[in-house]
Amino acid sequence: MSSNLKFLVVDDFSTMRRIVKNLLQELGYNDITEADDGNTALPLLKAGSFDILITDWNMPGMPGLDLLKAVRADSKLAKLPVLMLTAEAKREQIVEAAQAGVSGYVIKPFTAVTLKEKLDKILASRAAA
Amino acid sequence: MSHPDPEQFRAQVAALQGALDGGDAAGFRHAFEALSAQMDCGLLPELKRITATAQSALARFSAEARLDVLAGHEVPDARKRLTHVVKLTDEAAHRTMDLVDSCGPLVDEAARGAASLLDAWRSYGERDLAFAAQWPESAATYLQRTRADSERLRANLTELLMAQGYQDITGQIIRSVIALVDELEQVLGKLVCIADGNEVTSMQRALPAKLDWERGLGPQVAGITNGDAVSGQDDIDALLSQMAADK
Repeated sequence: MSSNLKFLVVDDFSTMRRIVKNLLQELGYNDITEADDGNTALPLLKAGSFDILITDWNMPGMPGLDLLKAVRADSKLAKLPVLMLTAEAKREQIVEAAQAGVSGYVIKPFTAVTLKEKLDKILASRAAA
Repeated sequence: MSHPDPEQFRAQVAALQGALDGGDAAGFRHAFEALSAQMDCGLLPELKRITATAQSALARFSAEARLDVLAGHEVPDARKRLTHVVKLTDEAAHRTMDLVDSCGPLVDEAARGAASLLDAWRSYGERDLAFAAQWPESAATYLQRTRADSERLRANLTELLMAQGYQDITGQIIRSVIALVDELEQVLGKLVCIADGNEVTSMQRALPAKLDWERGLGPQVAGITNGDAVSGQDDIDALLSQMAADK
């Protein structure tokens, strides 16, 4: 299976970016760009035509929640599917992310099956929209 | 502190009064000095004792508490050690993933080879029974097992890759401890200044911004409660479904 979907993977740990990238490649997604926090991700998002954003929350510089809010506040990016992939586990945080318009929330440590399931769900609702 | 005898005081005051009334300047000075000495002998030793205690406490504070060593070397070293741990785990995780990456094509090749030999055997076998008869049954069993094992190996490689996520989780926890060590270093530096008798005007470096949940709290750690946390992915899915339903 291969796909032309364009992914941006944002995490400050290069190990986690590599894990997500390898999993996406196993799922047939090969167009993957990486960024290490919100500050580096946002200009990439504004400049490129990404189809989906997968971001960590706890990062130096701009954290994932701020990146999500910035995406939703930008008229061109507002509808971009955003999957939060994070170790942040407080109910308050998940509620805040949902209210800020997150499309999916995967808690670390996660499994390949969970990531695939959430991605499929996001892409299905994206196709239906 | 020893208290002067009131009778003695009374006698000295009377002597002072008598000298004053009698215009006896030398007598007055003598009586005044006696009274003053009487008062000092109670207060002075006590003051000296307090001063000495304070001085030795300050000396102990800077010498025995090893503040200088702690602030100057051991705490900064602790930070370097922790940073080094993050670096080592990062390198180990990448090394493991390099090996996983290099094993992937080998497994795929083994599976492909087994599958194509099995296919060839079957297609030849249908046309040429003599050819098929040359193949021992054990070869077919071996190829079938190789193909199945390759799938399991592939799955295990993916699990091996996922397991490297520990580096991100431990790294986040260690980074939060490094931030704490930074704060500790600031506080110790301030104490050293005080012990050395220097005035502390301001912190040399700004303290790191206080972590709050909007910036991210990092992973859950057993034994440390971090407020109201979810128990796992199922809990999150339920929470998000409930929120969507309540809309």
